[in-house]
Amino acid sequence: MSDVERLLAEYKRVHQGGGDADPRPFLDQLSGLDREQLAGLIDTYLSRAPRREVELAAFEDSPAVSVAESVQRSLAGSAGLWPALLPRLRTEARIRRADLVAELAARLGAQRRQDKVAAYYHQMEQGLLPAPGVSDTVLDALGKIVGYSREALRSAGEMPAPSRATPEGGAVFARTTGAAPDEQAAQAHSPGAAGEDWDEIDRLFRGG
Amino acid sequence: MAGFKELPEHQLRSQSDGQLIAYLRSARQAGRLDAMKPAVGLLVFGYWDSLLNRARLKLSYADAEDVAAEAAASAIASAFDGRSVGEFRSWLHTILARRIADYYEARKRRVKSTTLPSEHEGDEEVWGRDPAAPFEGEALPALECLARAYDELEDDRHRQVIDRYVYGPQSAGEVAEVVDGMSEANVHQIGSRFQSRVRELLGEGAE
Repeated sequence: MSDVERLLAEYKRVHQGGGDADPRPFLDQLSGLDREQLAGLIDTYLSRAPRREVELAAFEDSPAVSVAESVQRSLAGSAGLWPALLPRLRTEARIRRADLVAELAARLGAQRRQDKVAAYYHQMEQGLLPAPGVSDTVLDALGKIVGYSREALRSAGEMPAPSRATPEGGAVFARTTGAAPDEQAAQAHSPGAAGEDWDEIDRLFRGG
Repeated sequence: MAGFKELPEHQLRSQSDGQLIAYLRSARQAGRLDAMKPAVGLLVFGYWDSLLNRARLKLSYADAEDVAAEAAASAIASAFDGRSVGEFRSWLHTILARRIADYYEARKRRVKSTTLPSEHEGDEEVWGRDPAAPFEGEALPALECLARAYDELEDDRHRQVIDRYVYGPQSAGEVAEVVDGMSEANVHQIGSRFQSRVRELLGEGAE
């Protein structure tokens, strides 16, 4: 048995055992064409691997929890993939939510209504704000802050088809323990509530 | 609402991917958004290790996690929305491959220009990203050689051996039991011959 065959067999054993089957330590035992070959074999093996039978409770501390939460919000919400995409873009841009909101408000000329911008942005991340209502002006401004194009933000917000239902509280995964202070502030100010006067900020976030 | 019956986790676990997607649609139609949570979890957690580790073959650790997350979210959403093609698992890995390609494409654009990468307009679910750390992807040339070596196999039983023994979870003994006229030694031999052919093709490509 060649080194490639032996390492592939070992890798499959680790993967099937349910552990963290990081392929890099296996690849690091080889070089050149052998390494390439093993990488290809592992890649093909993983692409054919069936869905694992998992116990949901076993994933409480997994990084995949946040992925599942964002998918849940996307499927249940009105903003397509924004719940999955926006927090990630913010993280990649290394910008705190409060700072992003401040800059977004500034770019929209709404420094004095930062609380309202924060509330709307919170709704975008949570999938609560219907994506079609969010104007290009907002998406342009947001895209410049996080390094993403308006078109790509629009496209992400369009799928899947918006839900008619409003996401229920509690429909998130175990690791969500509570809102950050700026989120609480955003939640406390809920724009669009009945009886509230429609202003320029409402138009930008809900008027399309 | 009639037509939707909430299932406990242990029953959902035995559902196929397609059934889980259908369950999610049905839960949303019924306004039972809380009931969607376990089905989403089973799909995401069930494929997470495969997605993440495939991405790790081609990207840095940090980027691999982000790209795998994007692929999972995007693939489930498009399957949910009826925009996926074929079997869910294949679709999921197709989306992952696209996301990885987007990553490298964005990196190329970044090298050429300091402006931000423009995104794919009108594509079905593209929301590519700007990469952060360089890492030379592996497996890309090897995949072509693997596919070619596989295509060269004329005997369907030999392909079954590769599917089950090389790419699958079965041992040589298990494969010999289910593939007609195949001994355990044959399985080892076919597997080794296949690996040698791949190595030969890789060598030709490197010359």
